[in-house]
Formats: sequence, C-alpha cells, structure tokens
Amino acid sequence: MPQSQVKMDVRKVTPQASVIDIEGDVTAFSENVLMDAYTDASSDGANSIILNFSNLDYMNSSGIGLLVTLLIRAQRQGQSLLAYGLSDHYRQIFELTRLNEAISCYAGEADAVAAASNGR
Amino acid sequence: MKQIRHLWQSWRRREDSDARPQASLRSQVVMLDLDIVPNDPLVLYFQTSPGVVDVERLEIDSPVLDSLRAAGVKLVVPLVSQGELIGMINLGPRLSEQDYSTDDRKLLSDLATQAAPAVRVAQLARQQQAEARERERMEQELRVARLIQQTLLPHELPNLPGYEIATYYRPAREVGGDFYDFLYFEDGQVGLIIGDVTDKGVPAALVMATTRTLLRAAAERMTYPSPVLERVNELLYPDIPQRMFVTCLYALLDPASGRLRYANAGHDLPYRRHSSGVDELRATGMPLGLMPGMKYEEKEVILSKGDLVLFHSDGLVEAHNSAGDMFGFPRLQETMGQQPGDDTSSVIEFLLGELASFAGDDWEQEDDVTLVSLRRGVTKEVDKEPQVDERPAVESRNRDLWQRDWQVIAEFELPSEPGNERKAMEEVANRVQDMEISATRMEKLKTAVAEATMNAMEHGNKYRAEIPVHIQVMTVDGALGVRITDRGASQPIPEAELPDLEAKLAGMQSPRGWGLFLIENMVDELNVLTDDVHHTVELIMHLQKEGE
Repeated sequence: MPQSQVKMDVRKVTPQASVIDIEGDVTAFSENVLMDAYTDASSDGANSIILNFSNLDYMNSSGIGLLVTLLIRAQRQGQSLLAYGLSDHYRQIFELTRLNEAISCYAGEADAVAAASNGR
Repeated sequence: MKQIRHLWQSWRRREDSDARPQASLRSQVVMLDLDIVPNDPLVLYFQTSPGVVDVERLEIDSPVLDSLRAAGVKLVVPLVSQGELIGMINLGPRLSEQDYSTDDRKLLSDLATQAAPAVRVAQLARQQQAEARERERMEQELRVARLIQQTLLPHELPNLPGYEIATYYRPAREVGGDFYDFLYFEDGQVGLIIGDVTDKGVPAALVMATTRTLLRAAAERMTYPSPVLERVNELLYPDIPQRMFVTCLYALLDPASGRLRYANAGHDLPYRRHSSGVDELRATGMPLGLMPGMKYEEKEVILSKGDLVLFHSDGLVEAHNSAGDMFGFPRLQETMGQQPGDDTSSVIEFLLGELASFAGDDWEQEDDVTLVSLRRGVTKEVDKEPQVDERPAVESRNRDLWQRDWQVIAEFELPSEPGNERKAMEEVANRVQDMEISATRMEKLKTAVAEATMNAMEHGNKYRAEIPVHIQVMTVDGALGVRITDRGASQPIPEAELPDLEAKLAGMQSPRGWGLFLIENMVDELNVLTDDVHHTVELIMHLQKEGE
C-alpha cells in the first residue's frame, strides 16, 4: 500500500487558526498529504494549526516522526500546533513521547479553538 | 527386444581359384554378428520348418535373408531347441563347386538335431555364471550398504536423567535408507533425528551418510531445528542424485523444561501420548534435497511428566499383511493409546507385538522399520539441580522465558511489503480477541506488534517481499506472547538511542527512531532472540495488570 491511506481536509476556523481534519492513517506514507495540508492551512497567515485526530485509524512510529518534523517546521514559522480528538491509546503515546508537551492536546474542537484564540 | 546372437559359419573359397587346389582352396570360418529381431519372418520360418534350408530358393521378405545372401551363404541349418531358434549353421558353396547332395543335407540335419541341445546347454550355463556373478556383486553391495548403515547409527542411547529413550532398528533384506541420530549440546539440550532416504542399497546408504554429516555440522552451528533443516536442504540439493530425497525430522529437547522444538522435512509425523490422548506433532516442510530455498515450520511442545513421543519411519505404518492391508497411521495411533506399560521400551515391544499379529508369521518385511521413543519419566528426577537454560546464541533479558509452557495458538507469515504491519496487527488482534484482555492493553499490543513487524520487514528483511516475516501468537496462563521473526540475524537492529523530543526539535536527533521505544513501553516484556539466520522479537503481555 505504498500510497497513503489518509485524507486531510483544511478548515479555517478563525482568522488565526486552521483545523486539519485527519481521516485514516498517519504513517510514513502520509508525509506529502500532511505537508500539503500544512502549507494550505498556513497560507492565510494562521498562527495556530489544530490537528483533528477524531478520525485517526492508525498511527505508527513513522507517523510520530512525521509529527516531529511538522512541529519543527511550525516552530520555525512561529506557529503553534494543537490537537484534539486523540483516543486514549494515542493520547498515552503522546505522553510517552512527550509530544503532548509540544503539541497541546484538547478533548474537543471548541477547547482547542478557544486555546488557540487565547494566544496559547 | 531379445536379439539373437548366432553362429555364422561358412566355408568360403579364396579368390585365386587358379592356383593348385590344395593350396588355393582353403576352408575358412567366418563369424558374423547379425542383429536379428525376433519378428523377422525368417526366424518364424526357421522355428516352424526345421531342417536344412536352401537360401537361394527361399522367397521371404526378410532383412536377415538379404544379409545372408549378400554374405554368400548357400545353405542354412537352423538350430532349434524347444521351439526356440538358438543359432544357425550357415554354409557357403561347396569347395568342389558342386551342389550339396542329399546325403550332405541329411548329415547337416542330423548334426543340427544333435548340436542344438548342446549349444542350448552351453548358453544356459554361461547365463547362469553371469547371474551368479551379478548376485555376488549385489550381495557384496548389500554388505557394504549394511556396513555403512550400522557404522553410522548411534551405538549408545543418550543418558538423560528423568527421561527414557529406546530405539529399534530392523533393516529390510535389501537395506533401505533409514537412520536416526542423537546430538548432544553443551547447554544440556539433546537433538533427536530420524530420517529416511528414498531408494535402497549403497546409493541410499551414501546419501544417508552425507545427510547425517550435514545435519551434525548444521546443528552445531545453529540453535533451532528449522534453520538446520533449511541449511541441510540447501547443501544437499545440488549434490543429491536425481529423484532421490531425504525425509527427516529434527527435534531438540531441553531436558530441564521438557520443551521439545521440532521441524519436519516431510517425514512421518511423530505421535505424542499424553494424559488426554495421542496426537500428532505436526510441522510442515518439504523433504530435503528436492528443491532449493525451502522453509521449515518450527513448532514446540512441552513434555509433561509421563508424556511419550514416538518417532518412526514408514516401514511400520506401510507394512502389509497377506491380505494386502496396510498397518496404517490410525492403527499406530490407536495402539499407542492402548499400550498399558509404563516405560519406553515396552511401547516399542508393544508396537512390534501388534505388528507381528497384524502381519502374520510369513511377513516379508518390505522396508526398514525404525522406532525411537522418548518418554519423560514420572519418578522423581535424579537431576541434581534445575538446569539453567543457557543458550549461547540467545540473548534474552529474561531467561525464565524459556521455562514457560507456551502454547502456540496461531502462526502466520506475511511478505515484507510496506504497510503489511497493519495486517500483522489486525491478524494478531483477531486471534486474541476472545481472550480476557482489556481494550487498552489490546491497543498497546497492536501497536507493539505493528512496530516490531515494521522493524522486521525493514531492518531484518530489507523489505524484500519474498522473505516473509513469521509471526507466532502464544499463550501461557495469564499472559500472551507474540514472536516476530525475520531473517536478518546478521544485521541486528542498532541499539537506538533513547529518543528525546527536545533533541529532535533542536535538530540534534533524527525526527524518527521511535519504534523500539514504543515497543518497550507498550508491552510488559521484550526479549530479543537470535540464531544464525533469524532475529526474533518476543513481546509478552500480561492479560491483566493491577490498577487497571
């Protein structure tokens, strides 16, 4: 399956924040899709990118590596990354890898958008 | 087709007939070999019309007749014995240049009648001598084959405290290629081998000797039965004569734990008798020497006290009685279950008794019969202290592991293709869904299986689709185990540095490299086992964890 099993849609939720709705797998094969979505989400000068993991099927270590790469790019752009909709399992993996310290995790979209608006 | 070699005698006149008769006319005997096919019309004619035959007057369309004429033969006197043409006396023209007289013909005819049986007797005598020489040669071959065989079979049984081993070997008259062998390892494990070479006599004995040597050499270098058979198959394949092959079962017993690991190259399945019955020890694999690149399934069982395993060759199950019935596997299985005795030699005696009553007194043994029985004793083991299972080629963080009575509940393989770790994960989840494992722990197991499979496909098998990743799912009370094996023993996964997010964000570490870290944190135990060929990651998960 060397093509990606993922779909990512970008939504502008506030002038400063965009949501990337992730549907499917986050693996090494998701790289192009994720980076395109990120570029798209940043195009209007959004300083907060919110990753919606509600429809995540599967994420592996390569996918985590990908998020780290994304995080590096976002930090260089002075953007913050936020996330919501993670299952318990993946939330635990975020904690293990301490990704949760760099990507703030929220229960739902409203919380994430509010946090983004507060300039977090 | 039988071809008749026959006498060719003729008196011929020399060319220079002008010289004085005494000097110029000489009798000359010419022997000529003619290939005569049995259905040549001339042969039929000779057989049905004995007596002197005038070649020139004969009107038969026969290649033999043409040859006779061309050679200048005038008269043929067939030698017929018991209706069979066994020779011919062929005569050229008389030296006097006159025709053969009636007296001449009568004389020749009488001569033929006298000579034919004598010639026949001479032919038979010669044939018998040839047969005797052939028999002698075969007897000699048989002796050589027996000698090879007997020299190579073990002369002593393993002395294993807590176990009883017995063997029985009875070659058929025409020695077959059965063999068995015991191997002893420094760590206390004992290898048991039983095999059968197709074909008989010296060729089979030689192939058996070669196979035995290859097995011993491979077993010395490799820890597990499956790679040993793989290696021997690779070495044997180019050298073994066409249409010959070797069936062979290799089992490795760890006496301390009773664990018996085994792999099978097309040999008859051993039977295990335990408290709840008699079952077959199955493991799939093609015979050795048939095809290159074969893989051998490896299985393991734990022998409890009182359990008995019988290894056997096809000579027993394929024995026929006078009615043409075969002894057969069901009868063997049933007989093993019925045997009342308590020690191994009695199981063999019991089976042989059953065979004798099945086959009858006039049984003609068609093939070698080989039996090896192994039984874990019920009496208190004379063993001084529990042996620590130290496998030199195994680096395991938890040596207890090998003492566990794992039961394999599923086993499958996946080609090393990107993305197949998901299949591995789903397959394992499928196989364990009925177990009492919490959803959280199930998710962790899935992630660990996926990561380990990905490592196996990427680092071990270099994403070569034709090299599969082998996955075993096992249980033991209260725990689940998954073994993920690749063939990258020579390239161990480099001990990854502990991934550190800050270092990664600062560009001091690759953003990747989370796999092993994840696995370690997902399962309760992680063990790495390697042999010459394989690299196995063993994931162990307790079904319930306190505080959950």
